[in-house]
Amino acid sequence: MIWREKRLLLIILGVLLLANTVFFFTYRVQYVSRIEDLDGRQEQTKARLQQAHRTRTTAEQQLAAYKQVQNDLQILYNERWSTPMLRLTALIDEVRRLAAASHLEPPSYQFSNSETKNNSTRGSVGTTSVGIAFNVQGTYEQVRRLINLLELSDQFVIIDGISLASNGSTTDKTLTLNIRLKTLFRDTRVNAPIANKQL
Amino acid sequence: MKPLHLNLAARPFRDYRPVYAAVVVMALLTAFLALNNVDTLLRYRTETRTTRANIDKLEGQIADEQSHTEALTQRLRGVDLKLLSSQTEFANTQLAERAFSWSELLDRLERVLPSDVRLQSVTPAFEKDGLVHLSMTCLAKTGDGLTATINRFNGDAHFANAFPTSVNLQSGEYRFTLGVDYRPSIARSVE
Repeated sequence: MIWREKRLLLIILGVLLLANTVFFFTYRVQYVSRIEDLDGRQEQTKARLQQAHRTRTTAEQQLAAYKQVQNDLQILYNERWSTPMLRLTALIDEVRRLAAASHLEPPSYQFSNSETKNNSTRGSVGTTSVGIAFNVQGTYEQVRRLINLLELSDQFVIIDGISLASNGSTTDKTLTLNIRLKTLFRDTRVNAPIANKQL
Repeated sequence: MKPLHLNLAARPFRDYRPVYAAVVVMALLTAFLALNNVDTLLRYRTETRTTRANIDKLEGQIADEQSHTEALTQRLRGVDLKLLSSQTEFANTQLAERAFSWSELLDRLERVLPSDVRLQSVTPAFEKDGLVHLSMTCLAKTGDGLTATINRFNGDAHFANAFPTSVNLQSGEYRFTLGVDYRPSIARSVE
C-alpha cells in the first residue's frame, strides 16, 4: 500500500537509475575499449588514406607514363621520322656520302615506298616505309666500313638485309654487296595519330 | 466498563520509512552514477578530441585523394590505349631494328663460320623477346659445310636453334640455307 502511494516517484527514480546504470556499464566500464576502438578507427582511417594515396599515385604515374610515351612518340614521328619532304633528299645524300666515304660507288639505286602496317594489329600506324637498295663492289673491309658508317648515321636508317657475292676467282678479293636499307616517314596523308592529341 | 480507545489521528498511521529508505538509496545511486557518467562523457570527449580531430582530418584528406583519383581516372579513360599501344609496339620494333648492330653480327659470324663456308646473304627478323632470327644463305666447298656450320652455331652461346632449310650442289659448291636464332649483346625486347 505504502509503495503504491509513492509509485510515481519510485518509477521516475527507477528509470533514472536504470538509464544511468546502462550508460555506466556501456561507457564507463568499457571506457578503455572505447578509447582503443577510437584509436583503431584512427589507424583504419590512416590505412584508408594511404590506400587512397597509393591509388592516386598509381593513376598519376600511369598518366605520366602515357604522357611520356606520347611525347616520345611525337618526337619520333615528327622529328626522327619526319616527312619525306623534309628528310628524303637528306637521307639519299647521306647514303651517297657514306658510300663515298667507304670508297664505294653504287652504280644504281632502287627506291620503294609502302604504307607501314603493324603486324599485331594489322592497322595503319601513320607511317610510310621507304626502301633503298643498291649494289656496290669493293673489298670486305670497305663493305664493313659502309655498314659501320650506316649504323652510326644520324639518319634513321635501318639495314634491312645484305647479300654478299664473291666475284669468282679465289685471288680476287672484290665482293659484290647488295644492301637493302629501310627508313620510315610520318604519313602526311593522315595526322600523326598521337601528335595531335594531348592528354 | 468499556475500554477507552484513545486515537486522535486524522488519518490512519502508515510507516513510510522503508519507502523513504528505498528512495534515498535509489537517489544516491542515481546521483553517483550520473556524476560518474557525466565525468566519463566529459573525459571521453576531452581525451579523444585530438583523435577525433585527426580522424576528421584524415577523412577530409581521403575525400581529396578520391576526388583527385577520379579526375585522373577520367583523363585516363580519354587515352586511346589501343592506338597508343599499337604505335608503341611498332615504334619499339623499328627502334630495335635500328639499334641492331650488323657489325657485331658480322664479327660473330666471322668467328663462328667454318673456314670453308662463305656467307652469301643474311636477313634478320626481330622477335619480341629480343632474339633475332637470321635467315642465311651460305656457300660451302664441301658437303660437310652444312653440318659443320650447324655444329659451330650450336657451340656458340650467341646462337641457338640452327636449322637447315635446303642444300643444293651448284657449280661444284654446296649452297645451303638455314635459320638460326641470334642473341645480340644488347638484346632489345620490343614488347
